[in-house]
Amino acid sequence: MNVLKVSRLTIAAFVLPSLIIYIGIVFVPIIVSMYSGLLDWNGIGDPKFIGLENFKNLFFHDPVFWPAVKRTLMFAVFSMAEIPIALLVAILLKRYIRRPNFLVSSYFLPVILSVVIVGQLWKTIYNPASMGGMLNQVLEAIGLGSWTHSWLTDPSVAMYSLYFVALWQYLGYHTLIQYTGILNVPEEIYEAARIDGAEGFTADRYITFPNIIPIFKISIVLAFIGSLQSFDMIMVMTGGGPAHATDVISTHMYNMSFLSMKYGYGSSIATFLVILCLFATFLINLLFNKLEKRFS
Amino acid sequence: MAKMSKLLSLVLTGTLAISLTACGGSKSDDGSTSSTGSSSNTSEKNITITFQNIYPDPTDPKNQLMNKLVKQYETDHPNIKIELDSLNTDQQKLKLKTQAASKEMPDITVVNPSAQMKPFVDAKLLAPLNDMLDQNGLKDTFQDGLLDWYSFDGNTYALPDGNNIAVVYYNKELFDQAGVKVPTTFEEMLDVVKTLKSKGIQPMAIGEKDSWTGSFLFMNMLLRTNNGPGFLQDVLDKKKTFEDPAFVEAVNAFESLVQAGAFQDGATSFDYNAGENLFKTGKAAMYFMGTWATGGIETSSVNGKVGVFKFPTINGKGNPDEFMLAPGSAFAISADSKHLEETKAFLNWFMMSFPKEAFEAKGAVGIGQKVDGDFKAAGYSDMAMEVLNLFKEVKGGDLAFDNTMNPATAQVHLTSIQNLFAQKKDAAEVAKEHQAAFEENNK
Repeated sequence: MNVLKVSRLTIAAFVLPSLIIYIGIVFVPIIVSMYSGLLDWNGIGDPKFIGLENFKNLFFHDPVFWPAVKRTLMFAVFSMAEIPIALLVAILLKRYIRRPNFLVSSYFLPVILSVVIVGQLWKTIYNPASMGGMLNQVLEAIGLGSWTHSWLTDPSVAMYSLYFVALWQYLGYHTLIQYTGILNVPEEIYEAARIDGAEGFTADRYITFPNIIPIFKISIVLAFIGSLQSFDMIMVMTGGGPAHATDVISTHMYNMSFLSMKYGYGSSIATFLVILCLFATFLINLLFNKLEKRFS
Repeated sequence: MAKMSKLLSLVLTGTLAISLTACGGSKSDDGSTSSTGSSSNTSEKNITITFQNIYPDPTDPKNQLMNKLVKQYETDHPNIKIELDSLNTDQQKLKLKTQAASKEMPDITVVNPSAQMKPFVDAKLLAPLNDMLDQNGLKDTFQDGLLDWYSFDGNTYALPDGNNIAVVYYNKELFDQAGVKVPTTFEEMLDVVKTLKSKGIQPMAIGEKDSWTGSFLFMNMLLRTNNGPGFLQDVLDKKKTFEDPAFVEAVNAFESLVQAGAFQDGATSFDYNAGENLFKTGKAAMYFMGTWATGGIETSSVNGKVGVFKFPTINGKGNPDEFMLAPGSAFAISADSKHLEETKAFLNWFMMSFPKEAFEAKGAVGIGQKVDGDFKAAGYSDMAMEVLNLFKEVKGGDLAFDNTMNPATAQVHLTSIQNLFAQKKDAAEVAKEHQAAFEENNK
């Protein structure tokens, strides 16, 4: 501290404003939300304290909850599985395209589109052929008529259709992050490696990857957390339906809090989600610390 | 940086429910708080009344009517300013709930009848309007019995802008093309569906992403198989359960309609407007909906080709003159309003002027008040006249599921019916699911 040559008081004075704001908009709501999770409350009338009753119902009696958790985790797994693909795209861009800026920007384009626009767009693409759905029409045109589905309304495929849209939208995002990471790897290392006979994917394995592990980690964390809280896209495209087939934790929370008017119950789901996120972040950090040690 | 965004993400997730509440809150706080003073005193002060409503669409006659009346009132009472907060139905419902949670309700707001407004009444958030209804004879302008849906323990808490029934709209041109006639029994209706289907015409349109649409139709079937109204009330009174044969029969009838291919592919991804548009653009032959849709159909491309019929009997049961009743959304006044007297005076004047203005704006089909005037001479369409004639034949009926049961039970029901569009399910199981949800949420 003394290195800074300012008194602790000064430090405190400068940190305090943001600290107060941070606590006010981050920790207080979380605590309030956790407390409401212990209430039997419809959001309007008088709340009744019921202890852990909500959690008991959530874990043992809610037929929607665990499938929703499963879908959320699947979502996270798919999103994370996308990162190596994004890395591959980034490597190929770096190696084979002389001025990849235009391509990178085009890949990035879906990310800046509003989720509502993306949702409506894909809804139209997934429509039945008779309603002008592009995907089904293309399948019919190339003679794969038997592969057509009602992509968003058949409970067995609807969730996968949603995963795909999210992956499509965020591929460019992660490609950009990885690409920037690769650009930061000094060119000299590659030159030295070339002299030693390491080129192409061998160089990627031993040079690119170890050097961008921190960046890789950012992507993984972003993808994981992002998919845990996926809400808007699902709301726009299916609203959790048909019949809960595409409900994830956050949509279930919304439905319970605002449609079923069980605000307390919804808060207990929110609490679960916060804890899940914390736990997952902790786990990912642990894994990556090990990984970084192995490669450095 | 990475840590920051992680934390931020966490926060965003955990507090979603909280942050949603942040969008509420346009409070009227100018003008002083003395509504207790004598009326001559208060009338001198500048007052702002917030008026939350569900008429955001400028092409809707009701929006024009509201703007006109508000402007007129402001001209007549220079000290009163009326601030409009116009929202879509779903947004309004959500906003009101968040406002209610933080006790910052607008002076005038919109609630839905019976079970849907009960939580607000129980929480004492709405002001009783009995005294105001007696002023200027406002009470007598409403249709007989209509206000009962908005009354609890002898107090009326809200004034409806509409009173509708559910009918089946059909496209006469498409019916002629397929050579089918208006069905008088459900069995005939299934045949009509099959014939239309075989001729390549989409038989029915529905916007089942908004799951109440399917429930509304299902409840009409239950009204038939139960041989009359009151099934849900009997369940509430524990005289019947959802596993009653009438309920199972209704589920079976509903499934047979779905299985016959009555509804468009992917119906559960169509929202209300998208579903209705199929009918309004002539792409579907039948459309089951409340009569509030009449105005929209009149201004669409199928105007002039559309007729209406009553939902038919099922297995010979039920009376076609019993309808799904849809007492409309209704204006209520916040009990905590700082200008209670002024707000009551304004709403009284507004509702007194409502029927006449609505009649002139050609929006008087299905309003909740009595209208003097010759609809035919005023230029209302043939379809509107047909609907108006159906109103005269109404011999009772049922309310929608979510107006009768509490929200938690209603959600399970809505999802359960939506599921029938996606997959075939044993009717007994559907009934069991309903009963379990009912018992769980009515302890």
